[in-house]
Amino acid sequence: MSTRSGLQKEVLSLYRRALRIPRSKPQASRARWNLMLRYTFRTQASRASPNAFSTIEYLMRTGKRQLDTFENASIKDCTVSGEMEAWDKTQGRR
Amino acid sequence: MSLSRLARSFSSSAARRLATPVAQKPVLNKEFKIYRWNPDEPATKPTLQSYTIDLNQTGPMASIRILDALIKIKNEMDPTLTFRRSCREGICGSCAMNIDGQNTLACLCRIDRESGKDTKIYPLPHMYVVKDLVPDLTLFYKQYKSIKPYLQNPNPPADGTEFLQSVEDRKKLDGMYECILCACCSTSCPSYWWNQDEYLGPATLMQAYRWIADSRDTQTAERKEVLQNEMSLYRCHTIFNCSRTCPKGLNPALAIAKIKLELAAE
Repeated sequence: MSTRSGLQKEVLSLYRRALRIPRSKPQASRARWNLMLRYTFRTQASRASPNAFSTIEYLMRTGKRQLDTFENASIKDCTVSGEMEAWDKTQGRR
Repeated sequence: MSLSRLARSFSSSAARRLATPVAQKPVLNKEFKIYRWNPDEPATKPTLQSYTIDLNQTGPMASIRILDALIKIKNEMDPTLTFRRSCREGICGSCAMNIDGQNTLACLCRIDRESGKDTKIYPLPHMYVVKDLVPDLTLFYKQYKSIKPYLQNPNPPADGTEFLQSVEDRKKLDGMYECILCACCSTSCPSYWWNQDEYLGPATLMQAYRWIADSRDTQTAERKEVLQNEMSLYRCHTIFNCSRTCPKGLNPALAIAKIKLELAAE
């Protein structure tokens, strides 16, 4: 079992929170939510190097604010761009 | 009168038709060093970018403010420069920023023409930056919301008209209701810098007192009860940065002192 730093734990809990959002959305849109959230997290996470703490903290703040919006129950669906679908194919699963 | 004729009648006042030619103003260059940070490249560090403009080409000498210089820079030199502005006369509080070390409104702050020194412009200190000179005021507005800044009185007047107030009671609100929530005072307060999450800050506390002092409001006891803890109010150590910096000339420190007095007198 690897020991994780506080920041790593925070990032993981942010991702966990993101992945739980589709469950509260209508069945028909869940796959779209899932892809959009995974794509957004992965592309944002790859922008910062692991030791650029202030950059990671900034991305976490903007991410948290986005999730606050997405968690709103009145938001039912989201759009998936061609870019996201192309990215999904490179992930090699599902 | 047709449009083209109307246009011609205006164009006759062009400078070349005046009896005396307008004298060319001398060049008065002024350097502005402005904080730049772009959220699209979060890995790059914030920098100070320098712009030099001719003040005599910016506007009439008596009325030119920092905001005019910023707008000129954005229009003519660098359209990527980002800042908030709206009313340009100190009534909206959008253009609050740190100019030469002092939190103030860019639309009210005169440009130092004589000293020949550069002017440094930063966003409000100790706030998260959205971009360039735009601070993230989410927490500030959340704190303002938490003090319930509206009239609470479950018993409206029987005749269905407005609440009445004596002239003396109305006078108690002077110097508080004028606050435009520009956040200059809160972001100049060291206590607020270190305890933003729990201490409400001078701007919010002055508004809290504005509603405690209001004779029409009946929830005074509840409002005081909310402040009765170590952090919300008592992190104020009477540093007075808030009163010194307020661009509207208000006195948040006095309002906070009055809350403390009322809480202590209970």
